[in-house]
Amino acid sequence: MKYLLFVLFLLPLVVTLYELFILQSVNDPIKYIYTVTGVISTVLLFSSICLSMIRKWVNLIKYRKMIGLFGFFYAFLHFLNFTILDAQLDFSFIIKQSLDKPFIYLGMIAFFILLFMAITSKKNLFKKYNKYHKLIYFALILITIHFVMAQKSLTFIQFSYIILILVIGYFKLLQQIIKRNTI
Amino acid sequence: MYKLTKKDWEISENEVTSKELFDNRRTFLKLGAASVIASGSIMEALAKEKMPIKNLKFTEDPNPNNLILNTYEQITSHNNFYEFTTNQRKVKDMAHTLNTKNWTIKVDGLVEKPMTLDFDDLLKKFALEERIYRFRCVEGWSMVVPWIGFELSKLIKYLKPLSSAKYIRFETLYDEQMFPDQKNKVFNAVDYPYVEGLRMDEAMNELTLMAVGLYGSSMPKQNGAPIRLIVPWKYGFKSIKSIAKISFTDKEPLNTWQKENPKEYGFYANVNPKVDHPRWSQARERVLGKFFKQNTLMFNGYEKQVAHLYKGMDLTKDF
Repeated sequence: MKYLLFVLFLLPLVVTLYELFILQSVNDPIKYIYTVTGVISTVLLFSSICLSMIRKWVNLIKYRKMIGLFGFFYAFLHFLNFTILDAQLDFSFIIKQSLDKPFIYLGMIAFFILLFMAITSKKNLFKKYNKYHKLIYFALILITIHFVMAQKSLTFIQFSYIILILVIGYFKLLQQIIKRNTI
Repeated sequence: MYKLTKKDWEISENEVTSKELFDNRRTFLKLGAASVIASGSIMEALAKEKMPIKNLKFTEDPNPNNLILNTYEQITSHNNFYEFTTNQRKVKDMAHTLNTKNWTIKVDGLVEKPMTLDFDDLLKKFALEERIYRFRCVEGWSMVVPWIGFELSKLIKYLKPLSSAKYIRFETLYDEQMFPDQKNKVFNAVDYPYVEGLRMDEAMNELTLMAVGLYGSSMPKQNGAPIRLIVPWKYGFKSIKSIAKISFTDKEPLNTWQKENPKEYGFYANVNPKVDHPRWSQARERVLGKFFKQNTLMFNGYEKQVAHLYKGMDLTKDF
């Protein structure tokens, strides 16, 4: 199962590389890489927080770390796309954009939260830092705003994603309240 | 009596390759070639083959600046045409619902004689010329397109606007049967009909084109058939597609994107690498088909021809 998931999570990367370099069918490569890595990362990160809610029916908690790390992996590719292809490693440009533009700094803050979580997910560090891993909820809020800001105009499909995110948020909140009351 | 005989060089009907197979032979060969080797150079050669039939008569653009053209394939498969969808890759497959037969353009407002223009008549009236222009989208991508068309100034002279006319306003066709997103009342991408406008001196500039085709062939539907505006020194959204109405006015028209989001999109929308979009930089651009970006030029490289139009204006305010 673990290997199956591993292959499954690598699949979007393989397909994208195939489209970019073999088929060469992508007109706007930088934009396309943003879209694919952004969407996959968001889906994986939101999935990772849903696992504890569906535990009663299917227990996938043991894969949570892997899903989260893959979510980080795609966010990392997203970040590399910005720094290497989009900004062409022009560091003064990267820093200026990151400070000036809310769209960029919201994404950056979310990325560094994920980076912190990825580093401290190692067993020995996790004990000490796991209480800070609640930051994922903050990161997910930033990611949602970043996603909305990336659109030129919101259409039905994008509104559906936002509603889905709000539903997940609602159930997550409910779960936390119940937990707190039982303790 | 005339006797039907077969000459010996004639072949029998059943030996003739059917038209369908014959027409598909290149596709078939391509499939074979693609499965053997899918190297970049071969794919490039194939892309060049996907050319339309040149059906328009026009004087060629000698391309003095040696601009490198984007392929027909790229130009016709990456389109912002929100009347269909906001997905640039899908417009191509959806655009068949646009019916351009018996296309007319209504002309009204401050003009000597309001009238309805017949698109086919326009083609007879105005000599066509090729114009190889850079095209820069506000989203940050760009391409080079060999448009076919005639100068808007020629059309305006023919229409004879009144001297009180200070602006020209364009509308895209409104037809819910042809444009699926116009049927959307709640989740539509923008308000329809799509509106754009130019100041009269901008409209009269020699660069401003009414385009009816590209690569020598009639305008593909996804690119705004049968007739669209091309203003090469402005962001692409100014170059309104599938024009069905032209009005002359004395007030600055409220264009669609300015109406949607006035903080981000203005009336002028001149390409300017020094004035950023609030969410992203406009200093560089992604040329379609390329992995690396290039610098965006002031007025998209047409500074010489148009900078005088904006003398004394603060381009950070009138963006």
